[in-house]
Amino acid sequence: MLGQRFVSFIRPLTRAYAPKWPRPKPGTAERPPYRAPDPLINNPSATVTPLLDEDLTFIHRPPPTAPSPISYTTNPISPLLKPFSQTSSALPPLLRPSAEKSTPQRLTAEQIAEIRRLRALDPVKWTRGRLAKKFECTQQFVALVAATKKSTRAKLIQRRDEEHAANRAKWSEKRSLVAAISQKRRQYW
Amino acid sequence: MGHVQRRLASTTARLASSLSTAHLQKFPPKELLYIKGREIPTATIDPDTWASLQSPPPTALSAFAHRIGLSSVLTSTEAIQQVCTHPSFVQLLKQHKPHEQEPATNAQLSAIGNSLMGLFATEYIRATYPYLPTRVMKAAVTAHVGPLPCANVAQEMGATPLLRWHRSRGTILKPGVLHSDALASIPRALTALVYQRRSLPSARQFVHSYFLSREIDLRGMIKFLDPKKALLEMVKKFQRELPKSRLLKETGRFSNSPVFVVGIFSGEDQLGEGFGSSLKMAEYRAAEDALLRVYLTRTPPHLVQLPSQTFPVGVGDVYRELPEGDYTPADLVESEIMYASSGNSFTRSS
Repeated sequence: MLGQRFVSFIRPLTRAYAPKWPRPKPGTAERPPYRAPDPLINNPSATVTPLLDEDLTFIHRPPPTAPSPISYTTNPISPLLKPFSQTSSALPPLLRPSAEKSTPQRLTAEQIAEIRRLRALDPVKWTRGRLAKKFECTQQFVALVAATKKSTRAKLIQRRDEEHAANRAKWSEKRSLVAAISQKRRQYW
Repeated sequence: MGHVQRRLASTTARLASSLSTAHLQKFPPKELLYIKGREIPTATIDPDTWASLQSPPPTALSAFAHRIGLSSVLTSTEAIQQVCTHPSFVQLLKQHKPHEQEPATNAQLSAIGNSLMGLFATEYIRATYPYLPTRVMKAAVTAHVGPLPCANVAQEMGATPLLRWHRSRGTILKPGVLHSDALASIPRALTALVYQRRSLPSARQFVHSYFLSREIDLRGMIKFLDPKKALLEMVKKFQRELPKSRLLKETGRFSNSPVFVVGIFSGEDQLGEGFGSSLKMAEYRAAEDALLRVYLTRTPPHLVQLPSQTFPVGVGDVYRELPEGDYTPADLVESEIMYASSGNSFTRSS
């Protein structure tokens, strides 16, 4: 009787997904199909718990990017709450190329005075961005150091908003719809 | 079932509140019978109004006290009756039965109980979540012991048929009374009664078992306008390196369904991680995750120390000359960031 029992699960000799043949044509941009690694095999974050009373094995494989919701004061998950420790390890690449820039040098008192003079002279011509580029500092620094008067600022902002609203009125219905959809999507981030 | 039918069903259920007439000496009463000699017979009182004026049977009151486990505290039916009588009922009674004695209401008890519940909930949440921002802590206190959970707990206790109240519209000077307002007064009055007849630790135990054991989703209460700015302020407070976002994983860039996984790092420590269909979205979520990891850090339940533990146990008030209870105050943690907090709410500038 044992000999007549067949193996209930027979591993197929050929995969159904990402087949090996037909091979990618050499000398072309074709590449072999991507074989995703099986998350069930050799998962480093898997925790195996034998449940002896039920004669079962419980294997928990959390998704790799799920943030842990459990954080205790005795064992916090945020590095801010843990004592500072330096570990040298290779870090993933920065998100945007602008982050690679180093912090700008401190400006001298004369340069700051010059920024203030130009800004007071003609805030429409000497905008924050233009001054930042000229003196090699950030726009925020220019705003901190040479802020325009509240009344002037309010007028400039109002003029800018009116200009933008006039441009938006010229948009086609489809473009307005796309912009509205992306604005709504922003709420669901 | 349409919404009209549902509303009718709920109204009928509220009105026809299992009124038993077994405890009445005479039924039907004179008021409900037609007046003899009148051409068109009319009852002096509307049956629904008559039903709302009746007190519940003493058996129901006693059963209620036993059901909630306070039969030793609520020894007399008068006490239970007082707990279940909202002050709005007095006006109704005076209108229809002007010669009857004014019943004792739960107005004062409800006020005391409300303060006590606020105290217990605040100290518990503060002790459990030391890093939680103030505005979220206030929302959590409301979610635990606010008017809505109080009304729900009263319904779960089965106090709805015992409640004596009267619906009133709100005026400019006085707020209106709804069913949930009247129901909410019952657990508050019970807390105050336990405090008066037993002790403050007993009242705290009552509130903990009925209100602070309920599941609250704190994560859903925390919303951010600019999580990157908030995280920057927080990192500066903890005196760490400024946060920088790094791309951990990506797929499908330039397709119609990309997925990016971004981590926010302070130096080499990863503070938070988030995914999204755009780089900005993933970064936003990573900043949110980094903040939530700090805010939702909780004290293990067996290590929670409440300041009201210092009050002496045993029947009696808190002013007795007895040795204080054990209390180890928790270490002070970094204060909350000022961005998107209420600031100094009581100063003129804010």
